[in-house]
Amino acid sequence: QIGSLGGGCMSGGGNDIQWCFSQVKGAVDDDVAEADIISTVEFNHSGELLATGDKGGRVVIFQQEQENKIQSHSRGEYNVYSTFQSHEPEFDYLKSLEIEEKINKIRWLPQKNAAQFLLSTNDKTIKLWKISERDKRPEGYNLKEEDGRYRDPTTVTTLRVPVFRPMDLMVEASPRRIFANAHTYHINSISINSDYETYLSADDLRINLWHLEITDRSFNIVDIKPANMEELTEVITAAEFHPNSCNTFVYSSSKGTIRLCDMRASALCDRHSKLFEEPEDPSNRSFFSEIISSISDVKFSHSGRYMMTRDYLSVKIWDLNMENRPVETYQVHEYLRSKLCSLYENDCIFDKFECCWNGSDSVVMTGSYNNFFRMFDRNTKRDITLEASRENNKPRTVLKPRKVCASGKRKKDEISVDSLDFNKKILHTAWHPKENIIAVATTNNLYIFQDKVN
Amino acid sequence: MEVQKEAQRIMTLSVWKMYHSRMQRGGLRLHRSLQLSLVMRSARELYLSAKVEVHEPEVSLQPARFLDPRLHSRREAEAEAEAAPLDGEQPSPEPMDTQEAPRAQEAPARGGPCPAKVSRKRRSSNLSDGGDVGLVPSKKARLEEEAASLEIPDRLQPSPAQAEGAFPNLARVLQRRFSGLLNCNPAAPPTAPPACEAKPACRPADSMLNVLVRAVVAF
Repeated sequence: QIGSLGGGCMSGGGNDIQWCFSQVKGAVDDDVAEADIISTVEFNHSGELLATGDKGGRVVIFQQEQENKIQSHSRGEYNVYSTFQSHEPEFDYLKSLEIEEKINKIRWLPQKNAAQFLLSTNDKTIKLWKISERDKRPEGYNLKEEDGRYRDPTTVTTLRVPVFRPMDLMVEASPRRIFANAHTYHINSISINSDYETYLSADDLRINLWHLEITDRSFNIVDIKPANMEELTEVITAAEFHPNSCNTFVYSSSKGTIRLCDMRASALCDRHSKLFEEPEDPSNRSFFSEIISSISDVKFSHSGRYMMTRDYLSVKIWDLNMENRPVETYQVHEYLRSKLCSLYENDCIFDKFECCWNGSDSVVMTGSYNNFFRMFDRNTKRDITLEASRENNKPRTVLKPRKVCASGKRKKDEISVDSLDFNKKILHTAWHPKENIIAVATTNNLYIFQDKVN
Repeated sequence: MEVQKEAQRIMTLSVWKMYHSRMQRGGLRLHRSLQLSLVMRSARELYLSAKVEVHEPEVSLQPARFLDPRLHSRREAEAEAEAAPLDGEQPSPEPMDTQEAPRAQEAPARGGPCPAKVSRKRRSSNLSDGGDVGLVPSKKARLEEEAASLEIPDRLQPSPAQAEGAFPNLARVLQRRFSGLLNCNPAAPPTAPPACEAKPACRPADSMLNVLVRAVVAF
């Protein structure tokens, strides 16, 4: 089934969702510092925390304010909770290569105690961070003043027991584990297993399985490196564990295929259990067909029954029980198909868009150019294009659907393909696991939208 | 000719991107390199086929042979250049892949002379008919489509290099993407890559191909 290109609102649970602007985070000015470019966005399992990673190796975590029951205009706002430098630039002396500090992915662990844990990764190293709150501190030391200076011992005449007193909330982030030196190529994905004890990390040619407690070794579970690198034809582009089956994971390739592997079958999962591939539509063949079929993201549905893949022009939903074709295909920006040559010239054809599910798996979302992002309702088959922009965005302003005019006469309020700004791309989006709250990252700003609450 | 120029432009662009990606922070990205090399090879295929078309409008196929462009591309490129003036000297005797035989049949239906030109070079379907493929010009039907006057060479002309394993669908790609290429809106040509600028400007276009091919091999 192909999603139709309509405008208008979608329905969720019988009522039409109207998306409203809620907040925008980040610098206002147009001059974007490269270090501030957002490279990943992820809600935690409860949706209370929202983490972003940027090109400068920094992680910023936002926390949702507790809802004020009286003022139920909107759900709580997200405010900065913690900021820390996750990765620093490194230098590989052996290869004379700089290792970028850019955060490629962040994945949250489910909360087990008062502290929060997340995994963040750059091209080579994965780190487990503990984020904990401190709201009391010990006071009344015998040998130290309150400011930390040591007292003259001769002035100590009495003994007292220090006590904990309340202090301003401080959120501390500390690296608890560093998983390094396991990847020759650039890490593109990390995924935490449903056993909450292990996780996988994937680079262009290999996938490794780690235990969260063990940093000095990992198991290689997929290796597609050919004996002769000249025979290389495809690379791994994304990988994810199944949300419920701890033995199952998938990985996507640059050739547009997805392989599902069962770790019970063998130690090295080079032979897939299932291969998902759609035969190419011959009428769509072009010079750049091969590179636009590369899958940039793969995400299981929350139910675990479906998975979604994103290639350059479309989003596909696959039923895990059917390998020969997707059950649904949605065109994100088909009008770009005739512009592939220009998009190759300006490198946009290599952009890696991500995609995400809503909490109930009824709607999927992905980004596009001109700061547009698209949502596809799987039930109603309606889709909508919205824009993340600071203009006309006051809190609780309902977003106006946008439309791109592919060719011919441009209607009022439509935007022609040639006036799209290809520097304004939305690669990273995230959907709150339970509510209709979405986080959309433009180049250096993070937008938060919510559905209109009456 | 336009096709040739376009293919050359894309080849140049691809090589420039390859060199540029080496200087990027974080080092060479395998996925990007692979994608660039895919486009590069497609463009080179197109360039070679268009080039051969210019000089040899009428083409018959050799029996199925395989040519690994990485290993033999330089020789092949030179062979192409040498073969240009219709003396049809036998190029390197490596076999070439001729997977796309059935596709070649479909090409005429697409209209326009160029796809037909490209597909003609890969007519290995005649092989299945048996017989003396190399000797008989079997494209009479296609010849009629051609506007240019044709000469039937006595010599055989090799198919352009086709990578085996890595890019088995290239011929199919070439047949299709033709319209894509001509329809696309090229931006202003990129500044010449440093590698190309380093070469003397007086070299003919064929040597440009050698330069680019060498770049791919070295890469």
